[in-house]
Amino acid sequence: MRAFFDMGGYAAFVWPAYAVTLTVIVLNIVWARRSLARSRAEARRRLQTQGQRP
Amino acid sequence: MSRSEGTVAQAFPSIDAPAVPVAASNALAFPRADAREAARLALLRDLHLAFRKRGQLVQPLAFFAMVTLLFPLAISPELARLRELAPGVLWVGALLGSLLALEFLFRDDAYDGTLEQYALSGQSLTALMFAKTLAHWLLTGLPLALMAPLVAISLGVATTAVPGILLSVAIGTVALSLIGSIGAALTLGIKRSGALLSLLTLPLSLPVLIFGARATQLAIHGASLVAPLELLAALAILGVTLAPLAAAAAVRISLE
Amino acid sequence: MNWTWFHRLASPPYVYGLAARLTPWFAWPAALCIIAGLWGGLVLAPPDYQQGDGFRILYVHAPSAWMSLMVYMSMATAAAVGLIWRIKVAHAVAASCAPIGASFTFAALVTGALWGEPMWGTYWEWDPRLTSELVLLFLYLGYMGLRAGIEDTQRADRASAVLAIVGVVNVPIIHYSVTWWNSLHQAPSVMRLAKPAMPLAMLLPLLLMLLGFTLFFVALLLVRLRGEVLARERAASWIREVVSA
Repeated sequence: MRAFFDMGGYAAFVWPAYAVTLTVIVLNIVWARRSLARSRAEARRRLQTQGQRP
Repeated sequence: MSRSEGTVAQAFPSIDAPAVPVAASNALAFPRADAREAARLALLRDLHLAFRKRGQLVQPLAFFAMVTLLFPLAISPELARLRELAPGVLWVGALLGSLLALEFLFRDDAYDGTLEQYALSGQSLTALMFAKTLAHWLLTGLPLALMAPLVAISLGVATTAVPGILLSVAIGTVALSLIGSIGAALTLGIKRSGALLSLLTLPLSLPVLIFGARATQLAIHGASLVAPLELLAALAILGVTLAPLAAAAAVRISLE
Repeated sequence: MNWTWFHRLASPPYVYGLAARLTPWFAWPAALCIIAGLWGGLVLAPPDYQQGDGFRILYVHAPSAWMSLMVYMSMATAAAVGLIWRIKVAHAVAASCAPIGASFTFAALVTGALWGEPMWGTYWEWDPRLTSELVLLFLYLGYMGLRAGIEDTQRADRASAVLAIVGVVNVPIIHYSVTWWNSLHQAPSVMRLAKPAMPLAMLLPLLLMLLGFTLFFVALLLVRLRGEVLARERAASWIREVVSA
């Protein structure tokens, strides 16, 4: 197990590389969901203001 | 007074005037000139206008000289070292100088409606864009190319390199003007577009920078610079065929 | 040949529903592929005979670099379709691609630098691949900057489409010129991905990661696409149904 985390002495490079990529993946999921949620909220707001107008 | 009368007369055309749309009546009055003639007129117009504002013409050149001055001050006054850096200094200066003038390529014409007239004239907008870009090159690229040998000599380059430098900067700036015309047309109508224009234009200009600096380097070392010059010329030709099309499309989009 | 399926793809409500239905079909296989690829790449694959365990960065660097290019190509294709046939949905696809591509270009740059330090002895080497990747990042940033700069969505769509097409013509020229420039100044790069004989235990995780990242891209695209389609539709009755749910 120690050997696995040590990565043959390359731990300082291998793990940050994986961490950065994982971060980008997670951020992409968050951003995509947030952008969809924002567009839906925006559309809902637009419909409401239209509904209020006679 | 006479001006307002003219407007009124236009608003209420007399009964015997034929009811044709404005564009069609223009076409009847002025037989449609061919695209080459239209482009020639657009080119002359831009040159005339530019020579009325000579101050603006000098700006890129002053900028180029100023950038060159920065390098000896920032690095070292030793001519041997500066000579090694000369291709880079020359090309970065020329690239930035050409970029500086780009912002004005379409801006005034967009403000006063000339571009809209061009788009509605029924003439090939691509040909007109080519004419405008050619004017831009004549007013900035060519002067920069003429000035490049002076800058090179101030950096310790031998006079034997002058023809090579002149030629490579002249060809390279053709490609730069063409690439820049696309960026300038795309950023029309965006306020404070200067930084965005650089961000759009510089990545696309890198091949010109690479081949141009290499040609200049070879010229300085007295070697044959045919290979990079041919590559530069290829870029310029590709630009001539494609860039005016893209610029015309971008101008149309900005007018929508 | 029946083209109705193609015409339906230009219809926003149809695309919105389709994207919502298809997302899990791409997201879960993507997760499976990436987890399996990680297991294979970090645990099962043997250390490289030259680079030891350092080569394992390959399993995140190569897929990110692949994404950066593939997403750009998808974006430019969608932009061209939108520009030529005036299809709003295609512009929405292009708009969805840009942030995804830019983020993975960033990941490719950082992982490339982290790979460079043990292999070259420096984080940043002006290697043609890394340099091209950096230029690609600027192309993405320019595209997003132009989009953000133009307020009217339709104009932003069309102007940025022109930029994407110009960029795609330039990408091979930039790559070629950077390679040419690099060959003048130094010996060919140390980091070569295309080794002649990569053992299957090394190759298979890489293929899994590439597939996983691609599926992940499609899933992300489908989610973003729904948002972009909604933003482009004004006062359509179908919107009421999808947002009130």
